[in-house]
Amino acid sequence: MKTTAVAPTPPASGFRPRGTFKAADLVWTLIRTDFKTRYHGTYVGFLWALLKPLVLVLVLMGVFSFVFGDRPSYAAYLVTGLLLYDFFTDATKAGLNSLLSKSFLLTKTVAPSWIIVVTSLSNAVITVVTVWAVFLTVLAVTGHGPSPMAFALMLVYGLHFVVMVVGISLALSVLFLVYRDLNEIWDLVTHAGFFFAPIIYPIDIMPERLHFWLYLWPPTPIIQFTREVLVNGNVPSLKAHLLLSGETAAVFLIGLAIFNRYRSRIAEYV
Amino acid sequence: MAIIDVQNVSKSFRIPSVRRESVRDHAFDLFRRRQYERLSVLEDISFSVERGETLGIMGRNGCGKSTLLKILCGIYQPDGGSVTVDGGLTPILELGVGWNPELTAVDNAYLMGTVMGLSIREVREGLDEILAFAELERFANLELRHYSSGMASRLAYAVAFQATREILIIDEIFAVGDAGFRVRCEQRYLELRAAGHTVIVVSHDPTPVAGFCDRAILIDGGRVLMNDRPEAIAEAYLSMLRAEQVEPSVD
Repeated sequence: MKTTAVAPTPPASGFRPRGTFKAADLVWTLIRTDFKTRYHGTYVGFLWALLKPLVLVLVLMGVFSFVFGDRPSYAAYLVTGLLLYDFFTDATKAGLNSLLSKSFLLTKTVAPSWIIVVTSLSNAVITVVTVWAVFLTVLAVTGHGPSPMAFALMLVYGLHFVVMVVGISLALSVLFLVYRDLNEIWDLVTHAGFFFAPIIYPIDIMPERLHFWLYLWPPTPIIQFTREVLVNGNVPSLKAHLLLSGETAAVFLIGLAIFNRYRSRIAEYV
Repeated sequence: MAIIDVQNVSKSFRIPSVRRESVRDHAFDLFRRRQYERLSVLEDISFSVERGETLGIMGRNGCGKSTLLKILCGIYQPDGGSVTVDGGLTPILELGVGWNPELTAVDNAYLMGTVMGLSIREVREGLDEILAFAELERFANLELRHYSSGMASRLAYAVAFQATREILIIDEIFAVGDAGFRVRCEQRYLELRAAGHTVIVVSHDPTPVAGFCDRAILIDGGRVLMNDRPEAIAEAYLSMLRAEQVEPSVD
């Protein structure tokens, strides 16, 4: 039998004190392992995952520029909506599954559960950022690239979107432990929500009195605002921005409250 | 001051007599009163562990040992009472730790190591040692789903021993691996003890408890029956089992 040298134990004074938990290292490891399991550790796998949205961008932009001449606004409208909504569906689905699929970290060790939920969104974020970069490049090449101002605002909206998605994911992840058919229901909600968010139609064709309710669906304001700055070149009003921030905060806080209600019993539910 | 102090801890689990796990079930049963059975696992547990001490916990199957450990680790919250733990804690529960079967041994070591509080650098530097301890150098890049349960458990011990913080909690100590691996675990465990780590060992095998612990407690029916020298606890535990065999208890 092979003999193995056992490392000397650190002296008693060298104990890691409580509270020096390396959250950043855990976050990075979780993101890395998520990426590896999803794409089997290969960048080719990641490229495959990117292919669908990339083809979507290129085909739509190509076809519509052919149909409508060199004004790419309808294609840009559509692609903006589709990409952002795809991200929303992807990310919330991953968030919903996060605690159950990582239950092995929760029943035998004490991993901070909120970190597991938040890091589960990383794949969706990586995908949308990459595809979005391609989309902007296509726009820039055809001479419709965003101004620096539009670009900055887009980042702001993206940040708001991520915060909302984190809130929704926190809530869904714990509720899924209690209601095991929530994934089916959320599937229906996101499918129906595709039509609540004005992706394939302009929101103006809906009666004015419904706008408020449409804007309550988190992807709607993000998609509308992004289109406004990216395609139309307008900047929404200050009031509109304040409403967006308010909605984002509300969605996040409600999600957090639901998560906190269940968090101490997560290990018992999984 | 005690490093672990457990005062009057109780824990019970709600067991719905009709399981309702989905929105559909909830919707259909909305107007029916929901009935629960409460399974009380821990009634009133109090004990403390001194810094550097090794405490053995014994008890029959289902007496609440594992629940108690999970409460100590912070995985479950107690219903009543208080738990004070004054130091970092590394658990090895239920013959291992959680693994992702899709990842290789190395990736799993990174995952579990960082969950247990190591930095990525510490895992990287300790990786050879972890694989050597588990005797898995040849299978380092094999996914865990191809591992035997013994191999996976060895990896669990190797990572946990690398990551051991001030307090080490082991459920069913040394119940894995062949004789050679057990000897290595015992050696490592004695080193940790000599270095001043506090250890809690749970077992229903009297030998490690009598052999390795400074003190032990015997748990039955959700209460601490005895708190004594480990030999006395092992003896009491064995006579409890003998009494049970002569006169099977009716639950």
